[in-house]
Amino acid sequence: MTDKQFQKAAKFIENNCSADDFSLFMYRSDETATRYAQNMITQNMTGVKYGVRLNVAYGTQTGSARINSLDECELKKMVETAQNIAKLNKPDPEFVPSTSKAKIPKTDNLSENTVKFSMKEMVDVIKKTVDNAEKKKAFVSGIVTKRVTDSYLKNKNGFEGFDSSSEFENSMTMADNKTREAKVERSVKDVNDYSIKKEIDQLNSRFDALTEPKKIEAGQYNVILRPQAVINFFSFLLYFFDRKNADYGVSAFHNSIGKNMFGKNFSLISSLDEKDLTASAFSGDGLAARNIDWIKNGVVKELFTNRSYAHKIKAEPNFIPNVIIRGGNATEEEMMKKVKNGLIINNFWYIRTVSMRKNEVTGLTRDGIYYFENGKIKHSVNNLRFNEVLHDAAKNILLLGKEDNIAAGTKVPTMLIKDFTFADTTSF
Amino acid sequence: MDHLSTALNHAQSMGAEYADIRIQKTTRETIFLMDLSLKNTSRNVEHGYGIRVMKNGAWGFAHSNIFSNDEVKKTVEKAVKVAELSAKIKKGKGLTLAHERGYIDSYSTKIQIDPFKVPLSEKVDLMLEVNKTLLNYSKIKRAFFMLDMLNDDKYFASTLGSVIHSNTYYINPMISATAVNDKDSQTRSFDEGGYGAGWEHVLKMNLVQKAVQIAEEAIIKLEADEPGEIRRRDLILDPNHLGLTMHESVGHPTELDRVLKWEADYAGVSFATPEKLKKYRYGSEIVNFVGDNTLSFGLATAGYDDDGVPGQKWYIIKDGILNEYGTTRDTAPFIGENMSRGCNRATYYYDFPINRIPNLYLEPGKKLLSPQELIADTEDGIYIEGRGSFSIDQHRVNFQFGGDMFWEIKNGKKVRPLKDVLYKSCNPEFWNSCDAICDARYWKDFGVTNCGKGQPPQTARMTHGAATARFKKIRVGGSK
Ligand SMILES: [Zn+2]
Repeated sequence: MTDKQFQKAAKFIENNCSADDFSLFMYRSDETATRYAQNMITQNMTGVKYGVRLNVAYGTQTGSARINSLDECELKKMVETAQNIAKLNKPDPEFVPSTSKAKIPKTDNLSENTVKFSMKEMVDVIKKTVDNAEKKKAFVSGIVTKRVTDSYLKNKNGFEGFDSSSEFENSMTMADNKTREAKVERSVKDVNDYSIKKEIDQLNSRFDALTEPKKIEAGQYNVILRPQAVINFFSFLLYFFDRKNADYGVSAFHNSIGKNMFGKNFSLISSLDEKDLTASAFSGDGLAARNIDWIKNGVVKELFTNRSYAHKIKAEPNFIPNVIIRGGNATEEEMMKKVKNGLIINNFWYIRTVSMRKNEVTGLTRDGIYYFENGKIKHSVNNLRFNEVLHDAAKNILLLGKEDNIAAGTKVPTMLIKDFTFADTTSF
Repeated sequence: MDHLSTALNHAQSMGAEYADIRIQKTTRETIFLMDLSLKNTSRNVEHGYGIRVMKNGAWGFAHSNIFSNDEVKKTVEKAVKVAELSAKIKKGKGLTLAHERGYIDSYSTKIQIDPFKVPLSEKVDLMLEVNKTLLNYSKIKRAFFMLDMLNDDKYFASTLGSVIHSNTYYINPMISATAVNDKDSQTRSFDEGGYGAGWEHVLKMNLVQKAVQIAEEAIIKLEADEPGEIRRRDLILDPNHLGLTMHESVGHPTELDRVLKWEADYAGVSFATPEKLKKYRYGSEIVNFVGDNTLSFGLATAGYDDDGVPGQKWYIIKDGILNEYGTTRDTAPFIGENMSRGCNRATYYYDFPINRIPNLYLEPGKKLLSPQELIADTEDGIYIEGRGSFSIDQHRVNFQFGGDMFWEIKNGKKVRPLKDVLYKSCNPEFWNSCDAICDARYWKDFGVTNCGKGQPPQTARMTHGAATARFKKIRVGGSK
């Protein structure tokens, strides 16, 4: 039904658009988000959002407008706005025409189970987490979200794509009135693949393992990074990955293609062949998705290259349809036995760039950090600040666990990394 | 206007204890110039309404972009149904709202030249001149200019009888230049944040001259030394740097929803808990922080907040002591407050309003003092200008900040530029180490337009400000 609506609006825009080139993107997102804190619901919202974005060009002069309605009167105004901007604009020396008809890979991003999942059922999920927290004399906070999105892209030069996706997500933090604080979060395409019991069990096991934290000093430690920490840390690569910045010497990826920069244990890829993972079928600028090895066994294979820069250097443009960091078979027990001692880290927080040229970031541990020794967890420790270079950490990977689907389009393993650099401590 | 009363009447007929409707049209024009390529010149509109109802002591919220009485009623019904579901998981009688009355009023940002009516060529010509100026230096390899203009046109009505119209604007030019040699890359930016004004604000800035400065300083940084091992030195921080420092280490920890742990799952909580009010020494005696949603150019100023509470001015930290929080109608009762400080704001029509940092600034020093005199009075220190890397823990205790330009100070003189400087500090050490603040002549605002918080995430704006200030014996040095 939405695709028909979109096609009708697209027809209307085509008929009213006089520009030499255009690219039209539309989406509809139906979202309900129920937020809870301290064992009560504090915010609960629902509604449908629309977005319509039109990029136009006269020669190489470009203009763009965006509205949030499919109303024809509004669409007409939007076309005029975009066209007026383009007509009055200066030429763009890096302009590339919109993409033409392309074979879009078939993706399976929608689940009817999620579409049908009701607001009441969302509240029931929260009820279970709150009941569990109350039993433990603890407080739980988080958000349950259900989102169904349709998106459509059509270009003057022939590209046309339609995609529907669904997502169910629950993020929950359980804390007591002292220092214990643990979190689990997961998003899935199909709500039937989400087990609240399993998630609560995991939350409880993380929470129960927490003790009064002991102070430890800053320094280098062996770390077991659980999946959420792994993705939050290594996803900074995606910001630093730009091909133009690499070629111009702005980033650490200068002259990196073909070199082993990350060590043999690190592979970051996008793949449409993983049955348990969703993938964007096409990008907002009209590229069909394809499988990409960004980093394979440590070797940099491909960097993020937008269409205009790809045109300039005669490379194939790309985008990031999903994210997989390749795992292995090691269990946490094996990881704890592999080294004498170290820290298990559930999550990182507030990660920011320290130096793009050095590939260095900073951030803090969060949601549970445990000290282990001789293969066993001993006690919790106070949170720490790290300053670490992404490729140094990757080179120091000793063992990889199984890949975990932490989000519908993301799977990453637990990692054992030696000599991870912590630069400071905090008070809790 | 019809829709306002339709919504409120319908909500009341369905048993709502309180309801409001916010019809909001946000228009944003963005021009993004990357090197000499106009990557994006766009005008975006988000127009719709959000209806918030309280029933059985719980919130429900629904939004729509369809303007008809039928759709307004349907949206009310959704919001009521959502509230009824929310009420299944509450504590005691649920949420209550701090006292407020109804207002019939309007507010507009004072602008002289409407930025949306300035011819595009005037804006783009200026931007191209700036980026050409930057790229004229052979070592400058990347130039970036983003011009961001926003207008929020909002009607708010509530079952307290309020009908409030606000029409606010901001404008924000951001420029950066990246210098590269074979060993390093360094970026220097001009970024004063957003400002509640029209195009006249940009005309006063002399951006081409600023471009010359940032290009030259990016190149200076490229050749500069690193600061060496971390050790304790005095820091002199300029207002453009302090804006973000106070945002992270004072603004967020004094939001009452964080104090109440409502943000525990995402943005985090706060060390500045209620038993510390009126007692806790947050900073030295010269440290006074004011929450001020009456500031004429302030980005959080809109006459009223999205609870329909008037903009106010109050001390958050007074003579170094934690004095009060920024609050909302639904959080204030939890600490026994009967009135809200008016800090509830939503970003777009479809967002649920949440507790936000108000315009928040450090009062200038009372004795005459210039930054030059402060430098002359410092033996061993680093002078930091502008924003850099910043990170803080989820209780708002430990933080690490960089900056955009650094000068070593020895025996009262700026002796050499430095690069890649980081300092590490924490609450309450940092504000207690503040021993000098320059006077009102050197006070300067800094507008934040991208404060991320909430679930689903929202981006709010607020204005900060300070005069250059000194912090004694802070751990500062290079990174890893
Ligand atoms: Zn913020």
